[in-house]
Amino acid sequence: MQTPDTNDATTDSDEQPAESAVVGSDLEIGYASTDEPVVTVDRIDVPRGEITALVGPNGSGKSTLLKTLARQLGPDEGEVLLEGEDIQSYDQKALARELGHLSQENDAPETVTVENLVAHGRYPYRGFFESLGASDAEAIDRAIDLAGVEDLRGEPVGNLSGGQKQLVFIAMVLAQDTDVLLLDEPTTFLDLHHQLRVMETVTRLNEERDVTVVVVLHDIAQAARFADYLIALDDGSVYDWGPPTDVVTEGLLCDVFDVEAAVRYTPDPEIVPKRSL
Amino acid sequence: MTHESHGDGGAGRDSLSGVADGWRTLLDRQLGLLALGSAVVFVVASFLQLRYGSYPMTPAEVFAGLTDPAIVTDPRVLAGLLLGGEFPDVANTTLIIWKIRLPRVLVGVMVGANLAVAGAIFQAVTRNELASPYVLGVSAGAGLAVLVVLILVPVLSSYLPFVAAAGGTAAFLLVYAIAWQNGTSPVRLILAGIVVATIGQSLQTGLFFFAGNTGVVQTALSWLTGSLTGTSWSEVRLALPWTVLALALALAGSRQLNVLLLGEQAASSLGMRVERVRFGLSALAIAATAISVAVAGLVGFVGLVVPHLVRNIVGTDYRRLVVGCVFAGPALVTAADVGARLALSPIQLPVGIVTGLLGGPYFLYLMRKQRQLGEL
Repeated sequence: MQTPDTNDATTDSDEQPAESAVVGSDLEIGYASTDEPVVTVDRIDVPRGEITALVGPNGSGKSTLLKTLARQLGPDEGEVLLEGEDIQSYDQKALARELGHLSQENDAPETVTVENLVAHGRYPYRGFFESLGASDAEAIDRAIDLAGVEDLRGEPVGNLSGGQKQLVFIAMVLAQDTDVLLLDEPTTFLDLHHQLRVMETVTRLNEERDVTVVVVLHDIAQAARFADYLIALDDGSVYDWGPPTDVVTEGLLCDVFDVEAAVRYTPDPEIVPKRSL
Repeated sequence: MTHESHGDGGAGRDSLSGVADGWRTLLDRQLGLLALGSAVVFVVASFLQLRYGSYPMTPAEVFAGLTDPAIVTDPRVLAGLLLGGEFPDVANTTLIIWKIRLPRVLVGVMVGANLAVAGAIFQAVTRNELASPYVLGVSAGAGLAVLVVLILVPVLSSYLPFVAAAGGTAAFLLVYAIAWQNGTSPVRLILAGIVVATIGQSLQTGLFFFAGNTGVVQTALSWLTGSLTGTSWSEVRLALPWTVLALALALAGSRQLNVLLLGEQAASSLGMRVERVRFGLSALAIAATAISVAVAGLVGFVGLVVPHLVRNIVGTDYRRLVVGCVFAGPALVTAADVGARLALSPIQLPVGIVTGLLGGPYFLYLMRKQRQLGEL
């Protein structure tokens, strides 16, 4: 598989093809409890400065693949390159300054305030005895602003709704000030309003700060609408890859999701599921 | 650069503490009240300790003895107390206060602070509110080492403090080795701790059958339950430098504990080398525990109850929790030791019995009051 061509409708005005911020090659990923690899991927490219969505049915290996890209999980075979360098060669803190990762389930003590939680995002910038400096305070302010949680700043996390909590955790990752951001199902379980706020934050981040985003999404219509590129996984391998209009088709829904559906672009994608197959 | 606090004046927990302002703003009303309350308990308890005993004094005598110019104005005498040296010829009351009763109070303070902070750290490391300083096998190791020396190699009895600390540390390392499988996890650490504790307990009980006389059994029991009886300046000298170091490091490490509380995955995503930090903090907590075990034996419940009580008042922020433990731990141990030493006078109980009698009901109260108890 190659980096995207210039004729892709979604690429910006660049004449150059978008380079890859993250590349995974010859990946075989498994867990200690399984003999066979759960995910096998020959090559996966995450184009720099774009939003890439990982989609696929339950158990297709989306989260596993994302964890590998985030170095939370070491692949049995193959390697992941971040900006051309093997991700394993990064120092832990250096990696956290380049790449932010928010896992699916997040937990914080209930009495911690939003502001103090977001401040943990500055961890990779601080030495053991170092306190927060002016640049840290700026990054925290900016992250809180970007995630739109200014009004919650002094609230204890225990007082927040699920959606508010998710936005606050996103603010924490944003405070890491990374060029690459990996989000694992940030919209699952949220109400519609907060789903949109999360995706709007991601879009704003991508547009204003040119952050490369990889996001695992459950909702294929949402992925088709917000992402520049889609990677569709089926049973641990890549089924298709490209801009949404190429990837999200009735064939994909049938083959990968086992759903008969009607897909239209008006130009926003409209997916109407008819029945399960 | 400040973030203005929106109202509420410290009524809510962890109320806005302008991140950039750092430590200063952490001393809010809850922590202030806790420190004040602990100080009051401590002053009252230590006054009782200094005044009463087999030679009771009047409050005036206590005050006069405590401020005896022969001691407090003589730097050489003060240095002698801390570094070891001759004790000058002074009035009887002064001698009793400075030589016998005061060091016991000071040792109690250090035991309380060390155990409370160690417990707080272990509760974060294992992410379990019910963890205590002895959760990773320290009690088994220290207790077994003490019994082995007392019963099998009594010639080493004068080194008991070091034996206890070494035994505890060895057990901790064993627990870590058992729990390690490409890394550790809170649950595996706790389970390994139970494995080692169970075996240690059996061996301890077995050893009692070989005890030659009741004197040995009593010495052993007072080690196993924790006692401040007979502590003197040499215990103060032994524990003080390590206590200062351990508490300073715990305070510095409190931010790491806060990040660790977010879970392993989040912590490592934030750039923490979780295994290394977890081992480092555990080792620090073990060191703090070992200090306390060396001078007072296995005092129970302090390391379990105090962090709990402090958390209920100041919240989960470890920067404040550790400070709170440094105040509340000494207050509890000093107060409990009043009961241990004076309640059944002239018989002195091990202080660990009193802390257990206080700690049990407190947990019963918590069980009734809080629906969720356990996971942090």
